[in-house]
Amino acid sequence: MKQTKKLALCAVLIALALALSCTERLIPLQLFIPLPGVKLGLANVVSLVSLYLLGWKPTFAIVVLRCILGAMFGGGVTGFLFSLTGGLLAMGTMCLSKAVALFSIYGVSILGAAAHHVGQIMVAMLVMHSGYVLAYLPYLLLVALFTGFATGALSGGILRALPTQPAVSISTEK
Amino acid sequence: MGKNQSLSFQKGDFLAIILVVALALMVALLFLPGSGSKQGTMVQIYQNGVLTEELPLSQDRKMELSGAYHCTVTVKDGKVAITDSDCPGEDCVHTGWIQSPGRSIVCIPNRVEVRVTGGSDVDFVVG
Repeated sequence: MKQTKKLALCAVLIALALALSCTERLIPLQLFIPLPGVKLGLANVVSLVSLYLLGWKPTFAIVVLRCILGAMFGGGVTGFLFSLTGGLLAMGTMCLSKAVALFSIYGVSILGAAAHHVGQIMVAMLVMHSGYVLAYLPYLLLVALFTGFATGALSGGILRALPTQPAVSISTEK
Repeated sequence: MGKNQSLSFQKGDFLAIILVVALALMVALLFLPGSGSKQGTMVQIYQNGVLTEELPLSQDRKMELSGAYHCTVTVKDGKVAITDSDCPGEDCVHTGWIQSPGRSIVCIPNRVEVRVTGGSDVDFVVG
């Protein structure tokens, strides 16, 4: 029973992450910040919530599946490389920084957003065969401070609003 | 287990901010020599990572590039820009005019890079 609930919750979270990453393309953040790869990182809200709610293993699966499905829904191969590298690097960083008791969800989210951009620039350097792309990284990192803060606040709000003993809290029970 | 505490902003989070800003500054320093107000002399155009064209910055010119998408590279008054593109996002167009050595305009959908060189050139090429 518990396993079934967990499975259903993961499926819902994957669908939500996919929907958010598609919706995100409609927000013209690039009009205000004309840099390649700038986005709000709404899909990362799902990763964060799932990381705090379910732990790193299901979150890992959610990130990978979201990227694969995202590529099918119009990201293409290049888009897949970008989102997978960014997504995995962000997730890895968030897992590690969450394990360090120093950071709240804000710090975890900011470091995750920064790692996402580092991953994207790494792929861009490979795709373009050029190190000059790295010159964009400082700007992207500064943007990540704000987007990371925003997604952290959003995820914190969601986690607080969830009931303390939710039907979905499955991590501790056998 | 202090679950609520981990959901609110803590002192430790400033460390996260400092870390990110420090990384940004470190990378920015790498490119500082090229980001000054110096004037470049040449424009290099890379398509799919291969140098396909080299133009002098001093000579006004308009060039059409075709790849996955169409874009127009314009050289004018010692500056260069991608002035028109039908790629999604048009980040390359929004980048605007550049003139200092080491600066570049990148169009990832089109795999095009426009790079200014000359003067004291910083060489930083990977791959």
